[in-house]
Amino acid sequence: MNHYFDLLFAWSTRIIRARYQQSILGGLWAILQPLATVLIFTLVFSFLIKVDTGNIPYIVFSYSAMVPWLFFSSAITDMVDSIVSNMNLVSKIYFPREILVFSALIARFVDFLIAFAILILLIILYRLPVNLLTWLFLPVVLICQILLALGIGLFASALNAFFRDIKHVFTLIMQLWLYATPIIYPVTLVPENLRNLYYFNPMVGIIEGYRAILLHEALPGNSFIFSIVISLLVFAGGYSFFKKVEVQFADII
Amino acid sequence: MMYSIKLTDVSKKYRIGKSSLNLRSIFRRKNIATKFHWAVKNINFGLQAGESMGIIGPNGAGKTTILKLLSKVTFPTSGQIEMNGRFSALIELGAGFHPELSGRENVFLNGTILGMRKAEIQKRFDDIVQFAGIEKFIDTPVKRYSSGMYARLGFSVAAHVDPQILLVDEVLAVGDMAFQKKCYERMQQLIQNGTTLIFVSHNMRAIQKVCERSMVLYRGEIAFEGSSADATAEYSNILRKAAADFQDVSSEDISEGIGQQIMTHEAVIEKIEILKQNNEATNTFPSGENAIVRAKINFYKDAPAPVIACSIRHPDGQVVYDFTTEWAGIQTPDFSAFTSAIIDFPLQLNLSAGSYQLGVNLAYKDLSKYYDRIDRGLDFVVVSSSGARGFADLHAGFSVSKITENKTN
Repeated sequence: MNHYFDLLFAWSTRIIRARYQQSILGGLWAILQPLATVLIFTLVFSFLIKVDTGNIPYIVFSYSAMVPWLFFSSAITDMVDSIVSNMNLVSKIYFPREILVFSALIARFVDFLIAFAILILLIILYRLPVNLLTWLFLPVVLICQILLALGIGLFASALNAFFRDIKHVFTLIMQLWLYATPIIYPVTLVPENLRNLYYFNPMVGIIEGYRAILLHEALPGNSFIFSIVISLLVFAGGYSFFKKVEVQFADII
Repeated sequence: MMYSIKLTDVSKKYRIGKSSLNLRSIFRRKNIATKFHWAVKNINFGLQAGESMGIIGPNGAGKTTILKLLSKVTFPTSGQIEMNGRFSALIELGAGFHPELSGRENVFLNGTILGMRKAEIQKRFDDIVQFAGIEKFIDTPVKRYSSGMYARLGFSVAAHVDPQILLVDEVLAVGDMAFQKKCYERMQQLIQNGTTLIFVSHNMRAIQKVCERSMVLYRGEIAFEGSSADATAEYSNILRKAAADFQDVSSEDISEGIGQQIMTHEAVIEKIEILKQNNEATNTFPSGENAIVRAKINFYKDAPAPVIACSIRHPDGQVVYDFTTEWAGIQTPDFSAFTSAIIDFPLQLNLSAGSYQLGVNLAYKDLSKYYDRIDRGLDFVVVSSSGARGFADLHAGFSVSKITENKTN
């Protein structure tokens, strides 16, 4: 089993290389994409419509959430397609199929790390107070987010092998999900009576967790515990579904 | 007894018809076509370490399905497959190659897909590249490779995994003769070192060279199993049966790869035969023999002066010979509806040894459409003792006359 780690690494590298092979800016796109998105929202929400983000500048406020969000949504989009787009492999060579899904996420994780470095730069630039002790909790939030993404990715990529519609469904879901999560606006903007329903979205706890650690020198709140439970359930469900139907991939595609 | 590979009553069923589902058909609750096709049926065989088995059979016989089952790409509908040892499969050329990456990167990528550790690949890297003979192009993206280079690198990686079981599909046909020879030698060497080999090929000579035992598959079942020499002989009988069965093949079966017919059906080629001079049906001819290609045609509508053609193809798709009445300047008669005719093409089989596919087609006078077209009506075998290669056998002779020049000037 151990030797498949080499494949996981080689396949992730392949995706990254192929992605930036013939582009001039290469890995810089990993920074430009979240930055451009945030700049647009900054224009809208700090000049046209004022959004109250407390003592945190809007650009840092939204970038700190946009970086993990884009990792989440782009990884899911790539994972959904990962089995179908590698059909020539799946129908010809045996290897654990989940490697394709995991690699799609790992390749986006590299983008995430690059974009995160810029986030640290912004925090320093705006002289926000930093508590390195709370930063130790950051990997927990990250792992929780990865488990949630993998669970969805495994489930959706398997389903996409049977129904190609799933890919398009997920493009739509990810767009809606962005607005159902406090990324470009604070939770305080959500009406009190809808708050409970709102927290059913596991990404709320995760994004709030990132903000608490990065911008408020605090640990994630109660909503994050709910997110952990949901993420573990989603991962277990997605993985077992994937393993159950993977034997049919080569026949169906 | 410990088997390296053991198959017990293995069957595999595929659904035919719509290949992929979509949500619309579910919402509509439309009945999804549930027609099934048995790709392989009740396959039983066992191989011990160091044994080899050739698999031959006409297209659509289930050869590739067996390899896919063995390599765990797909799973049997019923029956058991037992495999002991690390296996490597070469089912399609460079299936794990990525066109944008260099040959070097692809060796590592493909090697890890086949289950090697990175360090193992590193150790064998030079051997792999040297065997493929592409040292000069190893840092070029493989999208610039020729299909022959692709094949060479693909085989080279698969053959250096140190597999205990090696599965090779008909993929070497693209390589040149010298490389093919090298591959066969490598396979023989691996067998001697205890590797179990399964080799699918249309190349009878290669099968006989590499494998001691062979099986002939026909329509998903083992039609014959025995020594490779016997299997090769039996194969021509099976092909004959296949040609006979082919005449009543329904249009649904065409998609399964049995044949190719584009036609209006206003006239139908009912039967294709190849006969000896004395009208005896056979399918093995010595090279240079006179033969008669005979087709029986039923006309269902008037067919004014149709163009009638006969073609001979090599199993790898090359047209070896194509004869039409149009090109030959022959005026064919008019045929009227509801009549039949026997068409004879007497010809001399100046072909080198090998198996060939015989086709006959019937086209409109203006060549706008076919009445009927069969590219592979039957297969026949040409035998020759001259050992000459290529498609044509020009029956070369040889003589020497030494010239003794007087060098005393």
